[in-house]
Amino acid sequence: MSIEGALRYYLGTGIGKGVLRFERLRNEWRLRHRAPKTSSPFSPPLSTSPWLKELISRHYLTGRYADAHRKVAWVTSGAPVEFLKALGYYLLYPENHGAVCGIRRRGEELCQAAEEAGYSRDICSYARTDLGSLLSGRTPVGRLPKPDLLLCCTNICQTVLFWYRVLAAHFRVPLVIIDTPFIYSTAPAHAVDFVQRQLELGVETAERVAGRSIDPAELERVTRRSREAVELWMRVLERARHVPAPITAFDEFIHMGPIVEMRGDRATVDYYRALLATLDLRIARGTGALKQERIRLIWDNLPIWYRMRGLSELLARHGATLVASTYTNAWGELAALIDPSDPMRSAARVYLHPILNRGTGHKLDTIQRLATDYAAHGVILHSDRSCKPYSVGQMDQRERLSARGIPALLLEADHNDPRAFADEQAENRIQAFLEMIPS
Amino acid sequence: MAPISIPGRREAIEDQRAAGGGLAAVFPVHNPRALLRSFGLLPVEVWGPPSARGDRAAAHLQAYTCSLVRCGLSFVLAGGLDRADCIVVPHACDSLQGLGSLLLDFVKPSPPVLPYYLPRGERDVDRAYLTAEIESLAERLARIAGRELDRAELHARLDREEQADRAAAALIDDRRRLGLSNRRLYELLRSREYLPAERFCALADSALEARGEMEAAGVPVLLSGLVPEPASVLDALDAAGACVVADDMACAGRRIYRACAFDDPLERQAARLLSGPPDSTRDCSMGARVAHLCELAERSGARGVIFFDVKFCEPELFYLPRLQAGLREAGLACLACEVDLADALPDQILTRLEAFVEMLS
Repeated sequence: MSIEGALRYYLGTGIGKGVLRFERLRNEWRLRHRAPKTSSPFSPPLSTSPWLKELISRHYLTGRYADAHRKVAWVTSGAPVEFLKALGYYLLYPENHGAVCGIRRRGEELCQAAEEAGYSRDICSYARTDLGSLLSGRTPVGRLPKPDLLLCCTNICQTVLFWYRVLAAHFRVPLVIIDTPFIYSTAPAHAVDFVQRQLELGVETAERVAGRSIDPAELERVTRRSREAVELWMRVLERARHVPAPITAFDEFIHMGPIVEMRGDRATVDYYRALLATLDLRIARGTGALKQERIRLIWDNLPIWYRMRGLSELLARHGATLVASTYTNAWGELAALIDPSDPMRSAARVYLHPILNRGTGHKLDTIQRLATDYAAHGVILHSDRSCKPYSVGQMDQRERLSARGIPALLLEADHNDPRAFADEQAENRIQAFLEMIPS
Repeated sequence: MAPISIPGRREAIEDQRAAGGGLAAVFPVHNPRALLRSFGLLPVEVWGPPSARGDRAAAHLQAYTCSLVRCGLSFVLAGGLDRADCIVVPHACDSLQGLGSLLLDFVKPSPPVLPYYLPRGERDVDRAYLTAEIESLAERLARIAGRELDRAELHARLDREEQADRAAAALIDDRRRLGLSNRRLYELLRSREYLPAERFCALADSALEARGEMEAAGVPVLLSGLVPEPASVLDALDAAGACVVADDMACAGRRIYRACAFDDPLERQAARLLSGPPDSTRDCSMGARVAHLCELAERSGARGVIFFDVKFCEPELFYLPRLQAGLREAGLACLACEVDLADALPDQILTRLEAFVEMLS
């Protein structure tokens, strides 16, 4: 870390942040003064949207210069990051970067770049997008900082383990693995002990790489902010229980960025507090995210990033909206387990229990609970070719939901590779599904 | 040289039943065989089987799930495991994880389903966790078998498994002098999937005693991947003039564990399961796998490596590009083939195998 690097970091991020603030203010002004589109089935965008854009852009802007001045860790999306935050690491989430590439319709070209290097089309499209970006140097966010450390937690899938092995071989940096035993029914005590011990080992490695020791008070502060943000996020999601829902799961897929990428930051807490206030205002005014809400649906699995707009418009044309999703819910439902006064033990419990690390029966129970709590008329199960742990079990879940009077549709797609998505077929199936829903 | 008679699965199962023993159907890859034997259960492995067409599983699993899991579930649904006293599902990948979960939550076959988690590392912390996990599995097995764990018996079973490992390693090392075709070699090696260790050792001893002085001809190759199914691939290699001289198959060579010495037999069982060669389903670095394959090739004189993988097998597919690059750098030719266990071997793969062997010869 040189003086030149520090200058580059502070100058680059300083100027960039100024530009981003200006853009946010301009966008907020436009949003306030723009005449509402009468033909659109949607209410005007959430007033905090420019703020969200600034927050995410700032994160990637900092990333552009981070490796010149700070230690950088690449981490999996469900990883216990609080100890890295407390050590001052800049964190990059290759999966989120994959999602950004998907939203900006760059997924296909980057997947192809990975396939040209020999990676099979049958492996996860996030991984292919990320590896394709790595190998080709192409990214829609300008530049990704090189990692000093990799942190891989298997609580979302085993795929990340293989993916991070490729990254470790590419970058030749230490790889910390937090192996979280899959919970078929309940987590035994030895599984929690196992995760806690690995976290302690992970801290040792991260301290060595960072060249400094962790400050327990700072770890507690970060953990407290994580809990606060997760609680706020859950309250944001729960606002969609109102009829009409002031926010849709399509909005949530975008607004979940900070809870995934910036958990533990003050800015994330501030943002979700503002978003919550905005939703409360909408509720008070009786404003729904959709002007005419007729059908309320639950979404299961990752979003189809490259077709978000098309799907939301298709549903909206039928007066349908997504009021909850198992995916966004996963980032809020474990708030109660986070204990800032015992950060390591509570992290072991929290990071062992995400929905993706639990059995197919638990997921069915979650979907049913969401359907009841959010007064949903049906469920769309995204059968995601790229995410087997999320998708295996959906066929039985669909049968059981239908048998219990909750219509469910299995929609074949892939979260980041548009080549595995058939537009017309999907549209026909969704239309037929919506027509049969009694609302 | 008298041909060795290898008992089939059915025969092994009937013998076990006739002797009053129980059966544990076990899914791939790494299983505590000695622990199961110490409870009087014969582990019989379920690698598909390829004969069980995946149709029945189509009501439960998407088409993009690997055929090993689809065939396995079909076999369960067809009642193929109804005679087992339990079904053990080790956690080897996302698909097998899903299978274990589906069996427990939705399919609910008549034999009890016992999943267990295999940690992805060889650290002390991994061994400590796996010891506790195996202890928990032992408690569940005790309820099924109606008897408590006998620690001395477990040590004795572990000794026999170690002996069987040495026998399997000797078979592969002396493969050239065994006078066996590729298919026959794998029938022998894979009989370990259902034979008690002592019967496998006896078979291996017979094969080793019958070995000749002359080394078999054939282009020496190393076989890597999950499982050599459909088995016609081995006939194809025979026909092409290839001789498999080294093995890195998950069903064979990757389960030749190191001997482990611990006073606690549960810890010894755990350490054993973590001590195998580098394996994608147990997590290992890319470099470790490349080094292992290079070492196998050097020791055996293999001129090329054939990766024979099951379609949709993420653990294997992620490693493949780096392994191929590393091996080519070391001067070894590589061929990667992907198959569906339930399908016949495509002609395209036959042609590629022939061309590959011809290129090496």
